[in-house]
Amino acid sequence: MHHQRTILVVSVCAISLALIASIATTKFLAAAELPQTNQPHPANAPAATPQPAQQPGTAPAASPPPAAATVLDNREASGILGRAVLSTANENMGRIIDVVVDQNGRVRAAIIDFGGFLGVGSRKIAVDWNALHFSPDKEHNRIILELTRDQVKAAPEYQEGKPIIVLGALAVSPDLQLTTSAMPEK
Amino acid sequence: MPKPPVAGDAPLAPSRRSLRGLDWFVFCVADIQTGFGPFIAVYLTTQKWTQIDIGLILSVAGLVALVGQIPGGAIVDAARSERVVASLAIVVISISALTYAAFPTFSAVLVAAILHAAASCVLGPAIAALSLGLVGHRAIGERLGRNARFSSIGNGLAAAAMGACGHFFSARAVFVITALLLAPAQLALRNIASGEIDADRAHGGRVEPGVEPKHFHVPVVLQKRPLLIFAGCIMLFHLANAAMLPLMASALTTRSSASATVLIAACIVVPQLVVAGISPWVGRQTGLWGRRPLLIIGFAALPLRALIFAAVSDPRLVVLAQCLDGVTAAALGVLVPLILVDLTRGTGRFNMAQGLIGTMTGIGAAASTSLGGYLTDYFGSPVAFLGLGAVATTALASALIFMPETRPNPD
Repeated sequence: MHHQRTILVVSVCAISLALIASIATTKFLAAAELPQTNQPHPANAPAATPQPAQQPGTAPAASPPPAAATVLDNREASGILGRAVLSTANENMGRIIDVVVDQNGRVRAAIIDFGGFLGVGSRKIAVDWNALHFSPDKEHNRIILELTRDQVKAAPEYQEGKPIIVLGALAVSPDLQLTTSAMPEK
Repeated sequence: MPKPPVAGDAPLAPSRRSLRGLDWFVFCVADIQTGFGPFIAVYLTTQKWTQIDIGLILSVAGLVALVGQIPGGAIVDAARSERVVASLAIVVISISALTYAAFPTFSAVLVAAILHAAASCVLGPAIAALSLGLVGHRAIGERLGRNARFSSIGNGLAAAAMGACGHFFSARAVFVITALLLAPAQLALRNIASGEIDADRAHGGRVEPGVEPKHFHVPVVLQKRPLLIFAGCIMLFHLANAAMLPLMASALTTRSSASATVLIAACIVVPQLVVAGISPWVGRQTGLWGRRPLLIIGFAALPLRALIFAAVSDPRLVVLAQCLDGVTAAALGVLVPLILVDLTRGTGRFNMAQGLIGTMTGIGAAASTSLGGYLTDYFGSPVAFLGLGAVATTALASALIFMPETRPNPD
Protein backbone atom coordinates (compact mmCIF):
# COMPACT_ATOMS: atom_id res chain seq x y z
CA MET A 1 0.00 0.00 0.00
CA HIS A 2 2.72 2.42 1.02
CA HIS A 3 4.62 1.66 -2.16
CA GLN A 4 1.60 2.35 -4.34
CA ARG A 5 0.98 5.70 -2.70
CA THR A 6 4.59 6.65 -3.18
CA ILE A 7 4.42 5.66 -6.83
CA LEU A 8 1.31 7.77 -7.33
CA VAL A 9 2.71 10.86 -5.65
CA VAL A 10 6.02 10.66 -7.46
CA SER A 11 4.28 10.11 -10.79
CA VAL A 12 2.05 13.14 -10.36
CA CYS A 13 4.95 15.34 -9.32
CA ALA A 14 7.11 14.14 -12.18
CA ILE A 15 4.39 14.73 -14.78
CA SER A 16 3.61 18.19 -13.45
CA LEU A 17 7.27 19.19 -13.38
CA ALA A 18 7.85 17.93 -16.88
CA LEU A 19 4.81 19.76 -18.26
CA ILE A 20 5.72 22.98 -16.52
CA ALA A 21 9.31 22.75 -17.71
CA SER A 22 8.22 22.11 -21.29
CA ILE A 23 5.73 24.96 -21.32
CA ALA A 24 8.26 27.34 -19.82
CA THR A 25 10.89 26.37 -22.35
CA THR A 26 8.50 26.79 -25.26
CA LYS A 27 7.38 30.21 -24.07
CA PHE A 28 10.97 31.30 -23.53
CA LEU A 29 11.96 30.23 -27.02
CA ALA A 30 8.95 31.90 -28.62
CA ALA A 31 9.67 35.16 -26.83
CA ALA A 32 13.32 35.08 -27.85
CA GLU A 33 12.57 34.76 -31.56
CA LEU A 34 12.10 37.97 -33.49
CA PRO A 35 8.72 38.37 -35.16
CA GLN A 36 8.88 37.00 -38.70
CA THR A 37 8.45 39.41 -41.56
CA ASN A 38 8.49 38.50 -45.21
CA GLN A 39 10.69 40.48 -47.51
CA PRO A 40 9.23 41.24 -50.93
CA HIS A 41 12.74 41.10 -52.45
CA PRO A 42 14.25 37.86 -53.73
CA ALA A 43 16.95 36.29 -51.66
CA ASN A 44 19.92 37.54 -53.62
CA ALA A 45 18.93 41.20 -53.74
CA PRO A 46 20.16 43.27 -50.81
CA ALA A 47 17.57 43.03 -48.09
CA ALA A 48 17.43 45.11 -44.94
CA THR A 49 20.64 47.00 -44.31
CA PRO A 50 22.24 45.91 -41.04
CA GLN A 51 21.49 48.15 -38.06
CA PRO A 52 24.70 49.77 -36.76
CA ALA A 53 25.37 49.21 -33.08
CA GLN A 54 24.39 52.25 -31.05
CA GLN A 55 27.42 53.78 -29.27
CA PRO A 56 26.48 55.00 -25.82
CA GLY A 57 27.09 58.73 -25.33
CA THR A 58 27.66 59.64 -28.99
CA ALA A 59 25.06 61.46 -30.98
CA PRO A 60 23.07 58.82 -32.89
CA ALA A 61 24.01 58.72 -36.59
CA ALA A 62 21.20 58.92 -39.09
CA SER A 63 19.75 55.40 -38.76
CA PRO A 64 18.88 53.59 -42.00
CA PRO A 65 15.18 53.34 -42.85
CA PRO A 66 13.40 50.27 -41.49
CA ALA A 67 13.12 47.31 -43.88
CA ALA A 68 9.99 47.04 -45.93
CA ALA A 69 7.68 44.39 -44.60
CA THR A 70 4.91 42.49 -46.28
CA VAL A 71 2.31 40.48 -44.48
CA LEU A 72 1.33 37.24 -46.13
CA ASP A 73 -1.83 35.46 -45.20
CA ASN A 74 -0.84 32.08 -43.84
CA ARG A 75 -3.52 30.53 -45.98
CA GLU A 76 -1.84 31.99 -49.06
CA ALA A 77 1.70 31.08 -48.15
CA SER A 78 3.32 28.63 -45.77
CA GLY A 79 6.58 26.85 -45.13
CA ILE A 80 7.38 23.88 -47.29
CA LEU A 81 9.22 21.51 -44.98
CA GLY A 82 7.20 18.48 -44.02
CA ARG A 83 4.46 19.05 -46.54
CA ALA A 84 3.04 15.96 -48.20
CA VAL A 85 3.48 15.37 -51.89
CA LEU A 86 1.08 13.43 -54.12
CA SER A 87 1.51 12.06 -57.59
CA THR A 88 -0.85 12.86 -60.45
CA ALA A 89 -2.51 9.52 -59.68
CA ASN A 90 -3.06 10.57 -56.05
CA GLU A 91 -0.41 8.21 -54.74
CA ASN A 92 1.41 9.11 -51.55
CA MET A 93 4.84 10.34 -52.57
CA GLY A 94 6.22 11.21 -49.17
CA ARG A 95 7.11 14.56 -47.69
CA ILE A 96 9.40 17.42 -48.65
CA ILE A 97 12.35 17.50 -46.29
CA ASP A 98 14.72 19.92 -48.01
CA VAL A 99 15.05 22.33 -50.93
CA VAL A 100 18.08 22.52 -53.24
CA VAL A 101 19.06 26.03 -54.35
CA ASP A 102 21.92 26.82 -56.75
CA GLN A 103 24.45 29.58 -56.29
CA ASN A 104 22.34 32.09 -58.21
CA GLY A 105 19.44 31.61 -55.88
CA ARG A 106 17.34 29.58 -58.27
CA VAL A 107 15.46 26.73 -56.68
CA ARG A 108 16.51 23.60 -58.55
CA ALA A 109 15.04 20.63 -56.71
CA ALA A 110 13.13 19.43 -53.70
CA ILE A 111 14.20 16.44 -51.63
CA ILE A 112 11.36 14.14 -50.74
CA ASP A 113 11.39 11.38 -48.15
CA PHE A 114 9.78 8.56 -50.04
CA GLY A 115 8.45 5.13 -49.13
CA GLY A 116 8.94 2.96 -46.09
CA PHE A 117 6.81 1.79 -43.20
CA LEU A 118 6.98 3.39 -39.75
CA GLY A 119 10.21 4.99 -40.83
CA VAL A 120 11.91 1.78 -41.94
CA GLY A 121 13.06 1.69 -45.54
CA SER A 122 12.38 5.26 -46.62
CA ARG A 123 14.67 6.92 -49.17
CA LYS A 124 15.53 10.52 -49.93
CA ILE A 125 15.00 11.39 -53.60
CA ALA A 126 15.70 14.70 -55.35
CA VAL A 127 12.97 15.79 -57.77
CA ASP A 128 13.11 18.70 -60.17
CA TRP A 129 11.41 21.83 -58.86
CA ASN A 130 9.63 22.21 -62.17
CA ALA A 131 8.10 18.79 -61.74
CA LEU A 132 6.26 20.02 -58.67
CA HIS A 133 2.93 21.76 -59.13
CA PHE A 134 1.40 23.81 -56.41
CA SER A 135 -2.32 24.19 -56.81
CA PRO A 136 -4.56 26.16 -54.54
CA ASP A 137 -7.78 24.64 -55.79
CA LYS A 138 -8.26 21.74 -53.35
CA GLU A 139 -9.06 22.34 -49.71
CA HIS A 140 -5.49 21.70 -48.49
CA ASN A 141 -2.93 23.24 -50.81
CA ARG A 142 -1.74 20.10 -52.50
CA ILE A 143 1.69 19.67 -53.93
CA ILE A 144 1.48 17.48 -56.99
CA LEU A 145 4.50 15.74 -58.43
CA GLU A 146 4.45 14.96 -62.11
CA LEU A 147 6.03 11.55 -61.55
CA THR A 148 4.47 8.27 -60.46
CA ARG A 149 5.75 5.99 -57.72
CA ASP A 150 7.13 3.60 -60.30
CA GLN A 151 9.23 6.35 -61.83
CA VAL A 152 10.57 7.54 -58.49
CA LYS A 153 11.12 4.24 -56.73
CA ALA A 154 14.38 3.26 -58.43
CA ALA A 155 16.04 6.67 -58.27
CA PRO A 156 19.44 6.88 -56.61
CA GLU A 157 19.29 8.25 -53.13
CA TYR A 158 20.18 11.84 -52.38
CA GLN A 159 23.38 12.14 -50.35
CA GLU A 160 25.03 15.24 -48.98
CA GLY A 161 28.39 15.96 -50.54
CA LYS A 162 27.74 13.87 -53.63
CA PRO A 163 26.43 15.03 -57.01
CA ILE A 164 22.67 15.38 -56.82
CA ILE A 165 20.70 13.25 -59.26
CA VAL A 166 17.51 15.15 -59.90
CA LEU A 167 14.52 13.25 -61.21
CA GLY A 168 12.16 14.66 -63.75
CA ALA A 169 14.58 17.29 -65.07
CA LEU A 170 13.07 18.67 -68.24
CA ALA A 171 14.96 20.05 -71.25
CA VAL A 172 17.44 22.73 -70.30
CA SER A 173 15.83 26.16 -70.53
CA PRO A 174 17.44 28.74 -72.90
CA ASP A 175 19.01 30.99 -70.31
CA LEU A 176 20.87 28.08 -68.79
CA GLN A 177 22.33 26.77 -72.02
CA LEU A 178 26.08 26.95 -72.07
CA THR A 179 27.25 29.32 -74.74
CA THR A 180 29.64 27.55 -77.07
CA SER A 181 33.04 29.10 -77.27
CA ALA A 182 33.94 30.75 -80.57
CA MET A 183 35.41 28.29 -83.01
CA PRO A 184 39.17 28.73 -83.26
CA GLU A 185 40.13 30.28 -86.53
CA LYS A 186 41.62 27.93 -88.94
CA MET B 1 35.82 -27.20 -1.79
CA PRO B 2 32.02 -27.65 -1.50
CA LYS B 3 29.94 -25.23 -3.51
CA PRO B 4 28.12 -22.80 -1.21
CA PRO B 5 24.33 -22.85 -1.67
CA VAL B 6 23.17 -20.21 -4.09
CA ALA B 7 20.00 -18.34 -3.23
CA GLY B 8 17.11 -19.27 -5.45
CA ASP B 9 17.82 -22.87 -6.38
CA ALA B 10 14.73 -24.23 -4.74
CA PRO B 11 11.66 -24.38 -7.00
CA LEU B 12 9.35 -21.42 -6.41
CA ALA B 13 5.60 -21.14 -6.73
CA PRO B 14 4.60 -17.61 -7.71
CA SER B 15 0.89 -17.00 -7.99
CA ARG B 16 -0.92 -17.19 -11.31
CA ARG B 17 -1.94 -13.58 -10.86
CA SER B 18 1.66 -12.42 -10.63
CA LEU B 19 2.64 -14.43 -13.67
CA ARG B 20 -0.26 -13.08 -15.67
CA GLY B 21 0.66 -9.59 -14.53
CA LEU B 22 4.20 -10.08 -15.78
CA ASP B 23 2.91 -11.40 -19.12
CA TRP B 24 0.80 -8.36 -19.75
CA PHE B 25 3.41 -5.97 -18.43
CA VAL B 26 5.91 -7.27 -20.97
CA PHE B 27 3.22 -6.96 -23.63
CA CYS B 28 2.46 -3.34 -22.73
CA VAL B 29 6.11 -2.36 -22.59
CA ALA B 30 6.65 -3.81 -26.06
CA ASP B 31 3.66 -1.77 -27.29
CA ILE B 32 5.03 1.38 -25.72
CA GLN B 33 8.52 0.97 -27.13
CA THR B 34 7.29 0.34 -30.68
CA GLY B 35 6.38 3.98 -31.13
CA PHE B 36 9.92 5.12 -30.40
CA GLY B 37 11.84 3.64 -33.24
CA PRO B 38 12.67 5.05 -36.67
CA PHE B 39 9.13 6.42 -36.53
CA ILE B 40 10.41 9.42 -34.60
CA ALA B 41 12.12 10.71 -37.72
CA VAL B 42 8.85 10.39 -39.63
CA TYR B 43 6.95 12.28 -36.95
CA LEU B 44 9.47 15.09 -36.66
CA THR B 45 9.41 15.50 -40.44
CA THR B 46 5.68 16.11 -40.28
CA GLN B 47 6.44 18.77 -37.66
CA LYS B 48 8.63 20.54 -40.22
CA TRP B 49 11.96 19.75 -38.62
CA THR B 50 15.12 19.96 -40.70
CA GLN B 51 17.09 16.79 -41.29
CA ILE B 52 20.04 18.13 -39.34
CA ASP B 53 17.94 18.65 -36.23
CA ILE B 54 16.35 15.24 -36.56
CA GLY B 55 19.75 13.64 -36.93
CA LEU B 56 20.95 15.48 -33.84
CA ILE B 57 18.08 14.21 -31.73
CA LEU B 58 18.58 10.64 -32.92
CA SER B 59 22.32 10.84 -32.22
CA VAL B 60 21.84 12.20 -28.73
CA ALA B 61 19.21 9.59 -27.95
CA GLY B 62 21.46 6.85 -29.28
CA LEU B 63 24.38 8.09 -27.23
CA VAL B 64 22.39 8.25 -24.00
CA ALA B 65 20.94 4.80 -24.70
CA LEU B 66 24.46 3.47 -25.13
CA VAL B 67 26.19 5.18 -22.24
CA GLY B 68 23.31 4.59 -19.86
CA GLN B 69 23.21 0.82 -20.21
CA ILE B 70 25.68 -0.09 -17.49
CA PRO B 71 24.56 2.60 -15.01
CA GLY B 72 20.96 1.57 -15.68
CA GLY B 73 21.80 -2.02 -14.85
CA ALA B 74 23.66 -0.92 -11.73
CA ILE B 75 20.62 1.07 -10.60
CA VAL B 76 18.38 -1.99 -10.96
CA ASP B 77 20.94 -4.08 -9.06
CA ALA B 78 20.94 -1.58 -6.22
CA ALA B 79 17.16 -1.26 -6.06
CA ARG B 80 15.26 -3.08 -3.35
CA SER B 81 11.98 -3.13 -5.28
CA GLU B 82 12.08 -3.97 -8.95
CA ARG B 83 8.41 -3.08 -9.28
CA VAL B 84 8.96 0.52 -8.24
CA VAL B 85 11.87 0.89 -10.63
CA ALA B 86 9.86 -0.52 -13.52
CA SER B 87 6.89 1.64 -12.63
CA LEU B 88 8.95 4.84 -12.53
CA ALA B 89 10.60 3.96 -15.82
CA ILE B 90 7.22 3.54 -17.51
CA VAL B 91 6.02 6.86 -16.11
CA VAL B 92 9.08 8.64 -17.48
CA ILE B 93 8.57 7.07 -20.90
CA SER B 94 4.94 8.19 -20.92
CA ILE B 95 5.99 11.73 -20.06
CA SER B 96 8.43 11.53 -22.92
CA ALA B 97 5.72 10.39 -25.34
CA LEU B 98 3.41 13.16 -24.20
CA THR B 99 6.14 15.71 -24.72
CA TYR B 100 6.73 14.47 -28.25
CA ALA B 101 3.04 14.81 -28.99
CA ALA B 102 2.39 18.12 -27.29
CA PHE B 103 5.60 20.15 -27.63
CA PRO B 104 7.55 19.23 -30.75
CA THR B 105 10.09 22.02 -30.24
CA PHE B 106 13.79 21.25 -30.29
CA SER B 107 14.58 21.69 -26.61
CA ALA B 108 11.50 19.80 -25.42
CA VAL B 109 12.09 16.91 -27.80
CA LEU B 110 15.76 16.80 -26.77
CA VAL B 111 14.75 16.40 -23.13
CA ALA B 112 12.11 13.85 -24.08
CA ALA B 113 14.56 11.81 -26.13
CA ILE B 114 17.12 11.77 -23.32
CA LEU B 115 14.47 10.81 -20.77
CA HIS B 116 13.21 8.00 -22.95
CA ALA B 117 16.68 6.61 -23.60
CA ALA B 118 17.58 6.73 -19.91
CA ALA B 119 14.33 5.09 -18.83
CA SER B 120 14.73 2.33 -21.42
CA CYS B 121 18.19 1.56 -20.04
CA VAL B 122 16.54 0.86 -16.70
CA LEU B 123 13.36 -0.80 -17.94
CA GLY B 124 15.03 -3.54 -19.96
CA PRO B 125 17.06 -5.04 -17.11
CA ALA B 126 14.18 -4.44 -14.70
CA ILE B 127 11.88 -6.75 -16.63
CA ALA B 128 14.45 -9.56 -16.65
CA ALA B 129 15.12 -8.94 -12.97
CA LEU B 130 11.39 -9.12 -12.19
CA SER B 131 11.22 -12.41 -14.05
CA LEU B 132 14.21 -13.84 -12.23
CA GLY B 133 12.96 -12.61 -8.88
CA LEU B 134 9.56 -14.13 -9.50
CA VAL B 135 10.38 -17.59 -10.85
CA GLY B 136 13.96 -18.22 -9.75
CA HIS B 137 16.82 -19.94 -11.55
CA ARG B 138 15.07 -23.23 -12.20
CA ALA B 139 12.22 -21.90 -14.29
CA ILE B 140 13.84 -18.79 -15.72
CA GLY B 141 14.49 -20.35 -19.14
CA GLU B 142 10.86 -21.04 -19.82
CA ARG B 143 9.83 -17.73 -18.32
CA LEU B 144 12.16 -15.82 -20.64
CA GLY B 145 10.66 -17.72 -23.55
CA ARG B 146 7.23 -16.62 -22.45
CA ASN B 147 8.43 -13.03 -22.08
CA ALA B 148 9.76 -13.12 -25.62
CA ARG B 149 6.40 -14.38 -26.87
CA PHE B 150 4.40 -11.61 -25.22
CA SER B 151 6.97 -9.03 -26.23
CA SER B 152 6.82 -9.98 -29.89
CA ILE B 153 3.01 -10.12 -29.91
CA GLY B 154 3.02 -6.64 -28.41
CA ASN B 155 5.53 -5.42 -30.97
CA GLY B 156 3.67 -6.87 -33.93
CA LEU B 157 0.24 -5.64 -32.88
CA ALA B 158 1.58 -2.23 -32.00
CA ALA B 159 3.40 -1.90 -35.31
CA ALA B 160 0.23 -2.74 -37.20
CA ALA B 161 -1.93 -0.47 -35.05
CA MET B 162 0.46 2.46 -35.16
CA GLY B 163 0.94 2.09 -38.88
CA ALA B 164 -2.82 2.27 -39.34
CA CYS B 165 -3.05 5.14 -36.87
CA GLY B 166 -0.34 7.11 -38.60
CA HIS B 167 -2.04 6.52 -41.93
CA PHE B 168 -5.62 7.35 -40.97
CA PHE B 169 -5.06 9.96 -38.31
CA SER B 170 -1.70 11.60 -37.82
CA ALA B 171 1.77 10.77 -36.69
CA ARG B 172 1.10 12.72 -33.50
CA ALA B 173 -1.73 10.36 -32.55
CA VAL B 174 0.78 7.53 -32.30
CA PHE B 175 2.55 9.29 -29.42
CA VAL B 176 -0.69 10.07 -27.64
CA ILE B 177 -1.61 6.40 -27.76
CA THR B 178 1.86 5.46 -26.53
CA ALA B 179 1.40 7.77 -23.56
CA LEU B 180 -2.04 6.34 -22.81
CA LEU B 181 -0.57 2.84 -22.67
CA LEU B 182 0.83 3.85 -19.28
CA ALA B 183 -2.47 2.87 -17.65
CA PRO B 184 -2.64 -0.79 -18.71
CA ALA B 185 1.08 -1.16 -18.02
CA GLN B 186 0.72 0.09 -14.45
CA LEU B 187 -2.34 -2.10 -13.94
CA ALA B 188 -0.43 -5.15 -15.09
CA LEU B 189 2.47 -4.24 -12.83
CA ARG B 190 0.14 -3.93 -9.83
CA ASN B 191 -0.90 -7.53 -10.27
CA ILE B 192 2.60 -8.73 -9.58
CA ALA B 193 2.73 -9.30 -5.85
CA SER B 194 5.82 -7.61 -4.52
CA GLY B 195 6.06 -10.14 -1.73
CA GLU B 196 6.80 -12.86 -4.24
CA ILE B 197 9.86 -11.11 -5.65
CA ASP B 198 13.04 -11.59 -3.67
CA ALA B 199 15.31 -8.66 -4.39
CA ASP B 200 18.50 -10.66 -3.94
CA ARG B 201 17.26 -13.35 -6.29
CA ALA B 202 16.33 -10.71 -8.81
CA HIS B 203 19.91 -9.52 -8.91
CA GLY B 204 21.35 -12.94 -9.47
CA GLY B 205 21.83 -14.14 -5.94
CA ARG B 206 23.44 -12.72 -2.87
CA VAL B 207 27.13 -11.94 -3.00
CA GLU B 208 29.09 -14.16 -0.64
CA PRO B 209 31.09 -12.12 1.86
CA GLY B 210 34.72 -11.84 0.83
CA VAL B 211 34.11 -12.37 -2.89
CA GLU B 212 33.90 -8.72 -3.81
CA PRO B 213 37.32 -7.02 -3.73
CA LYS B 214 37.89 -4.15 -1.35
CA HIS B 215 38.59 -1.46 -3.90
CA PHE B 216 35.68 -1.25 -6.26
CA HIS B 217 37.09 -0.72 -9.73
CA VAL B 218 35.41 -3.10 -12.09
CA PRO B 219 33.15 -5.56 -10.34
CA VAL B 220 34.53 -9.06 -10.28
CA VAL B 221 31.82 -10.38 -12.50
CA LEU B 222 32.76 -8.09 -15.38
CA GLN B 223 36.18 -9.71 -15.47
CA LYS B 224 34.82 -13.17 -15.92
CA ARG B 225 36.12 -14.56 -19.19
CA PRO B 226 32.96 -16.25 -20.45
CA LEU B 227 31.06 -13.03 -19.98
CA LEU B 228 33.58 -11.05 -22.00
CA ILE B 229 33.56 -13.71 -24.72
CA PHE B 230 29.80 -13.56 -24.82
CA ALA B 231 29.87 -9.77 -25.00
CA GLY B 232 32.25 -9.95 -27.97
CA CYS B 233 30.06 -12.48 -29.80
CA ILE B 234 26.98 -10.36 -29.23
CA MET B 235 28.73 -7.27 -30.54
CA LEU B 236 29.81 -9.06 -33.71
CA PHE B 237 26.31 -10.42 -34.13
CA HIS B 238 24.66 -7.04 -33.93
CA LEU B 239 27.34 -5.56 -36.17
CA ALA B 240 25.96 -7.87 -38.84
CA ASN B 241 22.31 -7.91 -37.89
CA ALA B 242 21.20 -4.35 -37.24
CA ALA B 243 21.62 -2.97 -40.73
CA MET B 244 20.04 -5.88 -42.58
CA LEU B 245 16.39 -5.03 -42.27
CA PRO B 246 16.74 -1.29 -43.06
CA LEU B 247 18.94 -2.07 -46.06
CA MET B 248 16.50 -4.65 -47.36
CA ALA B 249 13.56 -2.35 -46.74
CA SER B 250 15.28 0.37 -48.70
CA ALA B 251 15.94 -2.11 -51.50
CA LEU B 252 12.27 -3.15 -51.45
CA THR B 253 11.23 0.47 -51.82
CA THR B 254 13.49 0.66 -54.84
CA ARG B 255 12.20 -2.48 -56.49
CA SER B 256 8.46 -2.53 -55.87
CA SER B 257 6.48 0.65 -55.63
CA ALA B 258 2.85 0.24 -54.65
CA SER B 259 3.24 -2.83 -52.49
CA ALA B 260 6.53 -1.76 -50.89
CA THR B 261 4.86 -0.45 -47.75
CA VAL B 262 2.92 -3.68 -47.26
CA LEU B 263 6.02 -5.76 -47.95
CA ILE B 264 8.08 -3.85 -45.41
CA ALA B 265 5.27 -4.23 -42.89
CA ALA B 266 5.29 -7.97 -43.60
CA CYS B 267 9.06 -8.04 -43.12
CA ILE B 268 8.59 -6.51 -39.69
CA VAL B 269 5.65 -8.67 -38.64
CA VAL B 270 6.80 -12.11 -39.87
CA PRO B 271 9.75 -12.38 -37.47
CA GLN B 272 7.50 -11.30 -34.64
CA LEU B 273 5.11 -14.12 -35.50
CA VAL B 274 7.96 -16.63 -35.52
CA VAL B 275 9.22 -15.37 -32.16
CA ALA B 276 5.74 -15.53 -30.68
CA GLY B 277 5.42 -19.09 -31.92
CA ILE B 278 8.68 -20.70 -30.91
CA SER B 279 10.05 -18.73 -27.96
CA PRO B 280 8.46 -20.75 -25.15
CA TRP B 281 9.66 -23.94 -26.86
CA VAL B 282 13.17 -22.46 -27.08
CA GLY B 283 12.96 -21.59 -23.39
CA ARG B 284 12.09 -25.17 -22.49
CA GLN B 285 14.78 -26.64 -24.73
CA THR B 286 17.48 -24.64 -22.99
CA GLY B 287 16.93 -26.90 -20.02
CA LEU B 288 17.08 -30.09 -22.11
CA TRP B 289 19.66 -29.37 -24.79
CA GLY B 290 21.62 -26.73 -22.93
CA ARG B 291 22.30 -23.18 -24.05
CA ARG B 292 25.04 -23.66 -26.60
CA PRO B 293 23.20 -25.59 -29.34
CA LEU B 294 20.40 -23.07 -29.45
CA LEU B 295 22.85 -20.17 -29.47
CA ILE B 296 24.68 -21.71 -32.41
CA ILE B 297 21.41 -22.21 -34.30
CA GLY B 298 20.46 -18.60 -33.66
CA PHE B 299 23.85 -17.33 -34.83
CA ALA B 300 23.87 -19.62 -37.88
CA ALA B 301 20.57 -18.28 -39.21
CA LEU B 302 22.11 -14.87 -39.78
CA PRO B 303 24.72 -15.61 -42.49
CA LEU B 304 22.09 -17.70 -44.23
CA ARG B 305 19.70 -14.76 -44.23
CA ALA B 306 22.44 -12.45 -45.51
CA LEU B 307 23.10 -14.84 -48.37
CA ILE B 308 19.43 -14.95 -49.32
CA PHE B 309 19.18 -11.17 -49.23
CA ALA B 310 22.22 -10.85 -51.45
CA ALA B 311 21.00 -13.40 -53.96
CA VAL B 312 17.26 -13.01 -54.46
CA SER B 313 15.18 -10.09 -55.58
CA ASP B 314 11.69 -11.61 -55.42
CA PRO B 315 9.98 -9.81 -52.55
CA ARG B 316 8.10 -12.89 -51.43
CA LEU B 317 11.34 -14.78 -50.88
CA VAL B 318 12.58 -11.82 -48.88
CA VAL B 319 9.59 -12.05 -46.56
CA LEU B 320 10.22 -15.79 -46.21
CA ALA B 321 13.85 -15.10 -45.35
CA GLN B 322 12.58 -12.90 -42.54
CA CYS B 323 11.48 -16.14 -40.86
CA LEU B 324 15.19 -16.69 -40.26
CA ASP B 325 15.24 -13.29 -38.57
CA GLY B 326 12.50 -14.65 -36.34
CA VAL B 327 14.57 -17.74 -35.48
CA THR B 328 17.51 -15.56 -34.52
CA ALA B 329 15.37 -13.16 -32.54
CA ALA B 330 13.70 -15.99 -30.63
CA ALA B 331 17.01 -17.69 -29.85
CA LEU B 332 18.76 -14.54 -28.73
CA GLY B 333 15.72 -13.11 -26.97
CA VAL B 334 15.70 -16.09 -24.67
CA LEU B 335 19.39 -16.93 -24.52
CA VAL B 336 20.93 -13.52 -23.88
CA PRO B 337 19.25 -12.98 -20.50
CA LEU B 338 19.47 -16.70 -19.73
CA ILE B 339 23.21 -16.96 -20.29
CA LEU B 340 23.63 -13.83 -18.20
CA VAL B 341 21.61 -15.45 -15.42
CA ASP B 342 23.94 -18.43 -15.63
CA LEU B 343 27.10 -16.34 -15.64
CA THR B 344 26.10 -14.04 -12.78
CA ARG B 345 24.82 -16.57 -10.28
CA GLY B 346 25.81 -15.60 -6.79
CA THR B 347 27.28 -12.26 -7.78
CA GLY B 348 24.31 -9.93 -7.37
CA ARG B 349 25.30 -8.23 -10.63
CA PHE B 350 22.82 -9.73 -13.07
CA ASN B 351 21.50 -6.38 -14.18
CA MET B 352 24.86 -4.74 -14.59
CA ALA B 353 25.86 -7.65 -16.82
CA GLN B 354 22.71 -6.97 -18.83
CA GLY B 355 23.91 -3.40 -19.09
CA LEU B 356 27.25 -4.59 -20.43
CA ILE B 357 25.58 -6.72 -23.09
CA GLY B 358 23.27 -3.83 -23.88
CA THR B 359 26.25 -1.57 -24.42
CA MET B 360 27.82 -4.12 -26.76
CA THR B 361 24.52 -4.41 -28.61
CA GLY B 362 24.35 -0.66 -29.01
CA ILE B 363 27.91 -0.35 -30.25
CA GLY B 364 27.44 -3.19 -32.72
CA ALA B 365 24.15 -1.78 -33.99
CA ALA B 366 25.51 1.73 -34.47
CA ALA B 367 28.60 0.48 -36.28
CA SER B 368 26.38 -1.81 -38.36
CA THR B 369 24.36 1.06 -39.75
CA SER B 370 27.53 2.90 -40.76
CA LEU B 371 29.10 -0.24 -42.22
CA GLY B 372 25.98 -1.15 -44.16
CA GLY B 373 25.61 2.39 -45.48
CA TYR B 374 29.25 2.54 -46.51
CA LEU B 375 29.15 -0.81 -48.29
CA THR B 376 25.92 0.07 -50.11
CA ASP B 377 27.20 3.45 -51.25
CA TYR B 378 30.44 2.16 -52.69
CA PHE B 379 29.66 -1.40 -53.74
CA GLY B 380 25.91 -1.74 -54.00
CA SER B 381 23.30 -3.67 -52.12
CA PRO B 382 24.26 -7.31 -52.80
CA VAL B 383 27.87 -6.75 -51.79
CA ALA B 384 26.67 -5.00 -48.65
CA PHE B 385 24.65 -8.05 -47.69
CA LEU B 386 27.59 -10.34 -48.41
CA GLY B 387 29.81 -8.15 -46.28
CA LEU B 388 27.35 -8.27 -43.41
CA GLY B 389 27.11 -12.01 -43.94
CA ALA B 390 30.87 -12.28 -43.56
CA VAL B 391 30.67 -10.47 -40.22
CA ALA B 392 27.85 -12.80 -39.21
CA THR B 393 29.99 -15.81 -40.08
CA THR B 394 32.74 -14.41 -37.88
CA ALA B 395 30.23 -14.10 -35.05
CA LEU B 396 29.15 -17.70 -35.59
CA ALA B 397 32.76 -18.92 -35.61
CA SER B 398 33.54 -17.01 -32.41
CA ALA B 399 30.55 -18.53 -30.68
CA LEU B 400 31.40 -22.01 -31.93
CA ILE B 401 35.04 -21.84 -30.89
CA PHE B 402 35.06 -19.76 -27.73
CA MET B 403 31.65 -19.81 -26.12
CA PRO B 404 31.29 -22.39 -23.35
CA GLU B 405 28.12 -24.12 -22.23
CA THR B 406 26.78 -22.11 -19.32
CA ARG B 407 23.98 -24.34 -18.11
CA PRO B 408 24.61 -25.15 -14.48
CA ASN B 409 25.20 -28.83 -13.80
CA PRO B 410 22.06 -30.34 -12.30
CA ASP B 411 23.00 -30.94 -8.66
